[in-house]
Amino acid sequence: MNSFDVVVVGAGIIGCSVSYHLSKAGYSVALVEKGDIAHGTSSRCDAVALICDKKPGIDTEIGFKSIQLYKELAKEFSFDFEFSTRGSLYVCETEQELEIASGYVAEQRADGYDMKMVDQKELLEIEPYLAKDLKGGIWTEVDSTMNPYLVCFAFVEEAKKYGLKLFTHHEVKGVTKGPDGRVQSVITDRTTLHTNRVVNCAGVWAAKLGQMVGIDIPIQPRKGMVLISEKTKPVVSQKVHEFGYMLSKFEDIKYKRNVSKLVEENNIAFTIEPTEADNFLLGGHRAFKGYDISSENDVIRGIAERAIRFLPILKDISCIRAYAGIRPWVPDHLPIVSEVEEVPGFYIAGGHEGDGISMAPITGRMITQLISGEETDFNIDRLNFSRYKQLERVSS
Amino acid sequence: MSDEKTIVCRCEEISFQTISDTVREYSCSSREVKLRTRAGMGYCGGRTCRHMIDTIVAGINQEPIADEIQLSYRPPARPLTFGVLGGMQHDNESR
Repeated sequence: MNSFDVVVVGAGIIGCSVSYHLSKAGYSVALVEKGDIAHGTSSRCDAVALICDKKPGIDTEIGFKSIQLYKELAKEFSFDFEFSTRGSLYVCETEQELEIASGYVAEQRADGYDMKMVDQKELLEIEPYLAKDLKGGIWTEVDSTMNPYLVCFAFVEEAKKYGLKLFTHHEVKGVTKGPDGRVQSVITDRTTLHTNRVVNCAGVWAAKLGQMVGIDIPIQPRKGMVLISEKTKPVVSQKVHEFGYMLSKFEDIKYKRNVSKLVEENNIAFTIEPTEADNFLLGGHRAFKGYDISSENDVIRGIAERAIRFLPILKDISCIRAYAGIRPWVPDHLPIVSEVEEVPGFYIAGGHEGDGISMAPITGRMITQLISGEETDFNIDRLNFSRYKQLERVSS
Repeated sequence: MSDEKTIVCRCEEISFQTISDTVREYSCSSREVKLRTRAGMGYCGGRTCRHMIDTIVAGINQEPIADEIQLSYRPPARPLTFGVLGGMQHDNESR
């Protein structure tokens, strides 16, 4: 009875999308989750599908395709996940930032993506409450937003129509392998599920599941705090973030902002996004603190400080809530979408860092293509798990 | 609570009916009810209705309220403006 074509572990956004795509393709699927749906990172995040925060190349390509898929899903699904294409705006504080931004935009435009530079005047026409001294920015019309946990619920509700079986409040205790090394079953604290395909969508907990089959997955939790404003007038009409956000995301960009010690030390970069409920989400912050998701006062202060620098109007608007979540970070900032060579039948879809919501549809699609033995939409050699083995060989 | 139109979460204006319908449809926890309906996500941060939501959910699911906190508590303890939070000066502190 408890036998499935595929067992998906983790009901965050990636696991929900993977389960939906597999169920729709005709597989019998069990989705196993230690808590509720969207219990971890997917309910402690913001929710945008952007190309403007991706590096040129495959990162942007799959991000762009994912947005197109969301547009289709939003029409197709009977469950509303509050999807809308509002666009996004990067703002530059200095001439130097503007120069780096121009170079970045030129590169993306050469690849055919619709991003454009806006000057100081245009910036204020698009978002009138922004600080008057900002130099300009990047406007990306295609960038979209949704509700992060409703989109998880939506994937699950739609997948149920194709027969998905949900095992929430089941903690995975072990994954067994047969004599041939292929996965055989998933053991939870309450039952055993027989299968010869497991997809690890456990996000920041992916490495723990990896250990159960004897592999080392280099995903680490990277913390981020978000502040929520009260319901208020439209202080911005789209996602707005400082260009320095790119600098906090990618360690290899060498540029130093003129910011306070508090902002610098806590790796804080301004971002704000509107929600359907008229509250605004403010961030952002990146730090390695293990699995700790406690709120930190210094980070709250730093985010607020940075926010009023870019949007002075926020000074008199209240923050009603703050929370922290942890992103599944990998050293090379590219997700892992791959079967694991050493363990036949064991797949990984993870390591999306802050792009899980963004890249969920394309990830679900490509995992399904991998399992079906079809050609994937993109050449995903760079997303293969074996890249880490090659790295080890190079460094040793 | 006989009147199904009774408002449970005043900040987000979520009724008893909406909450109980959601619990029945998805047989879910209070946390999931919160996410699906926004009950407890408003200005007061669930300080007024948290216990009520937990009680309704426990009643429908026929489960006693667990000892652990169902709906989480989030800072700040009361709403504060971004100006106060992000100001460099905090009067009551020596730092």
